[in-house]
Amino acid sequence: MSAAVQFDHVSRHFGGVKAVDDVSLTIAEGEFFAMLGPSGSGKTTCLRLISGFEKPTTGVVRIFGEDMGAVPPNQRQVNTVFQDYALFPHMNVRDNVGYGLMVRGVDRRTRLAEAERLLALVHLDGFGDRKPAQLSGGQRQRVALARALINKPRVLLLDEPLGALDLKLREAMQDELKKLQRELGITFVFVTHDQGEALSMADRVAVFSQGKIAQVGSATEIYARPATRFVADFVGSSNILAPDLARTFGVAGALASLRPEALRIIPAEGARITGRVTGARYLGAGTRVTIAVNEYLGKEEAEIAVLVPAAGKVPGIGAVVGLDWDADAVHPMEAA
Amino acid sequence: MSDLRAALPGRGIWDRLTALFWRRPGVLVAVLIAAPLAWLGIVYVGSLVALLIQSFYSINEFSGVVVKEFTLKTYAELLRPANADVIVRTVTMAASVTLASAVLAFPIAYYAARFARGRWKAAFYLGIMLPLWSSYLVKVYAWKLILSKEGIISWAANGIGAGGVLDALLALPGIGGNSLSTSYIGTFLVFVYVWLPYMILPMQASLERVPQSMLEASAALGAGGLRALWSVILPLALPGVIAGSIFTFSLTLGDYIIPQIIGNSANFIGMAVYHLQGTAGNIPLAAAFAVVPILIMLVYLGIARKLGAFDAL
Amino acid sequence: MKMKRILTATTALAMALPCFGLAQVTELGAGEGEVATVAWPGYIERGETDKAYDWVTKFEEKTGCKVSVKTANTSGEMVALMNEGGFDLVTASGDSSLRLVAGKRVQPVNIDLLPSWKNIDERLKNAPWHTVDGVHYGVPYQWGPNVLAYNTEVFRDAPPKSWSVVFEEQNLPDGKSNKGRVQAYDGPIYIADAALYLMAHKPDLGITSPYELNEDQYKAALDLLRVQRTLVGRYWHDAMIQVDDFKNEGVAASSSWPFQVGLLKSENFPIGSVVPEEGATGWADTTMMAIDAPHPNCSYMWMEHTLSSNLQSDLSVWFGANPVVTAACEDKSGMQTKEGCAANGMEDFDKIHFWTTPTAKCSTGDCVPYYRWVSDYIAVIGGR
Repeated sequence: MSAAVQFDHVSRHFGGVKAVDDVSLTIAEGEFFAMLGPSGSGKTTCLRLISGFEKPTTGVVRIFGEDMGAVPPNQRQVNTVFQDYALFPHMNVRDNVGYGLMVRGVDRRTRLAEAERLLALVHLDGFGDRKPAQLSGGQRQRVALARALINKPRVLLLDEPLGALDLKLREAMQDELKKLQRELGITFVFVTHDQGEALSMADRVAVFSQGKIAQVGSATEIYARPATRFVADFVGSSNILAPDLARTFGVAGALASLRPEALRIIPAEGARITGRVTGARYLGAGTRVTIAVNEYLGKEEAEIAVLVPAAGKVPGIGAVVGLDWDADAVHPMEAA
Repeated sequence: MSDLRAALPGRGIWDRLTALFWRRPGVLVAVLIAAPLAWLGIVYVGSLVALLIQSFYSINEFSGVVVKEFTLKTYAELLRPANADVIVRTVTMAASVTLASAVLAFPIAYYAARFARGRWKAAFYLGIMLPLWSSYLVKVYAWKLILSKEGIISWAANGIGAGGVLDALLALPGIGGNSLSTSYIGTFLVFVYVWLPYMILPMQASLERVPQSMLEASAALGAGGLRALWSVILPLALPGVIAGSIFTFSLTLGDYIIPQIIGNSANFIGMAVYHLQGTAGNIPLAAAFAVVPILIMLVYLGIARKLGAFDAL
Repeated sequence: MKMKRILTATTALAMALPCFGLAQVTELGAGEGEVATVAWPGYIERGETDKAYDWVTKFEEKTGCKVSVKTANTSGEMVALMNEGGFDLVTASGDSSLRLVAGKRVQPVNIDLLPSWKNIDERLKNAPWHTVDGVHYGVPYQWGPNVLAYNTEVFRDAPPKSWSVVFEEQNLPDGKSNKGRVQAYDGPIYIADAALYLMAHKPDLGITSPYELNEDQYKAALDLLRVQRTLVGRYWHDAMIQVDDFKNEGVAASSSWPFQVGLLKSENFPIGSVVPEEGATGWADTTMMAIDAPHPNCSYMWMEHTLSSNLQSDLSVWFGANPVVTAACEDKSGMQTKEGCAANGMEDFDKIHFWTTPTAKCSTGDCVPYYRWVSDYIAVIGGR
């Protein structure tokens, strides 16, 4: 696998703000890659560095090994699906999709036929004559996708592609995007602040924090073994165990993460750790129970969240319970 | 427990009024728009109707008295070559001024909308608006001096050896003259100068509303700047261009001061109206002349609508 | 200034006016403390534009009559204001004065109550624009000719003698053609100037008054004006613009008013003026008194005041016009001088054809009415 996109110590500063701060990154060809992070973390700027709408302050961006320093956006084999879709409101759907071919001077007949083919690919056959304003959000999203794909880009960038869709549609689109990417075999790079989306779709995820990459890895790596407290916090809803507590859970001298689903509630008798139930939140697939353990440890306040599967028994508030966990799920990490 | 009512106790007339407005939103609307509507209805529509009625009267050929009987004779008068000349002259001027304003305004508006920030933006607004704050007459008189035979332009042209170019320009049949100030070219230049801000401002506003992502989408799809300009920016900014052109076109159509001061004295519609109503007492023909710009603007707006200028509104 | 004021649509104005047995003031009482006037801009000055020109302050001090001035820019406006009422006096021009009389808006003036009446220029005392059937409906105020102004550097020692320099293509004394170097007035009344020229040069047309033209005479005048169009770069309608055109556009000759000539002279511009051999058109204004004047005593005091030599003298300098009191030219009561009066055309009275509105019914039968002058002059200037 060769590298589709490569960041080599890339920084992008806006005045005094380091939007992207010395990022090095490699995205392999054919990979479905997610850039995950809260707003302002630099992920979108990274995407725009790939598309060429931003220029690095320092460092080099390479696409298929080629330095993009002097290549303007319209000469890159890269295309973008914009967050607001950026469909041209004055053109109908077919012309929108065919725009990339028109720009290349492809004759009208060919480009309209090609546009129809791509519309079929995104299941929008027959919508060609409509104006973007006449489409639903999901349909617009597909049009934007079709339009971005018509030039057969080697890298497709997606900026919060599903952000504006409702939950049900979002899930359907996730599957569809994944399928599309497999079919087309091109590199997808997408930006999201939704960890669920990143984990479910991406082959690999880069978690951004304050202009830097906190961790890059496969979805499972990121989820199960967060490298930093930030990643653990942001991806999923891990219990962060302070060093004292971590020691109790079997990890010495470091901060540790422990996923709620790796914990089980057991009777207090004979348990290694006990606590008092302070809250329960029903999540559908299970119930998230919070248990205060501080009074038993006599140290600083600490709450541990436990995910009780739907079939499990949920203790009442105030009940004193014991905790059990998978030892290998306690994962030490850096403090940052 | 009597103070446990759901509603707060009334506090007088304003509370009652507010409540009334809440229950009957129509009353509030009526109160708000009654005065402006009356103004619009009586003063504006009223005078327009009066104008229209007058234009269907005619003047008695012999006595010169206005005959208050419905006739189309006065409109037929408009087609007499001398009067048709006035209309064609005015419309041609308005169209040229509009076109030139649009071409000149676009780069300025584009720069202001997409690149100017902070202090530069303020400077832009100031620069555009400043001429609007000074007296229109002062500007026109100033231009008269600038364009005159012994004015700075011909002085500069002679100074750099371009006097011949200026002479050749002024020798052009139809639009030339003795000097810039007494030719249609001069009238045109001053019109463009005076109305340009009215083109720039709406254009800039509409360009500002074109999302950056549209341009990026265009670029991402491989389009260069010119293609984006032609296929994306212009169509999206069209409402602004149309709005601006409505200003420049109708302002030129109606103006009667500039062609009186700059140019060869040939009448424009506004001047003809002024002459006909003032001293001649030929109110019907003046009214008919005054209706012409209104009709032209209606046709213009109709075409603009057909072209989809208002689709994005 | 005067052109604008002179003209209003009065085509239907009947010339034959019945004699109204209107009561006129027979004796004067004490002033009412004020007098309200309608006047052309620049006609009644109280030293606010230029300190040297003030003929109101002293009058107010002497009589206790406060003078208020409402300026009007056209004759139409003047008539409208007088119809509105509330004013005592109006400085009416030749085209509105008779209309005001016919409309019974003004009252006869008892000249016995005006001691200075006797000082009025004999030529104006019974002028037809304010005298109807021997009854005086006003007091003459000022008059002036439309002179031929010319650049003395162009004409050197051969001043133009005829209006032909603005009507027919020719080489001027500086050896260059007059094409593009002459101007004409941008108002339909200028057709009368063409008619006046034809009166002298085409006697077989039989024009007797430049304001009373039959179809043939009218057509000849328009033809002459079409020739003029090819010579004229720009027509003038505003005195200040013409001054500027003389200075910056190389205008060599044009019909003009003494006002512009005086202004240019005061700036040492090489300008001269003449009333050519054909004569000239001109204007004459009259102070008239409203039928229901609220302040008749002050009105009479003001009319008497307007006939004072000092006022006439200063006003004629200020306005570039001629005093209606002959003595004002010579008695040094104000700023006017004999030469000044001569320059303003004082001695050319007989050569002046004063503006009146052309009407369909005229002394020679049927004439082309003014409204047609308007549309046809528009056509001529438009190149038709």
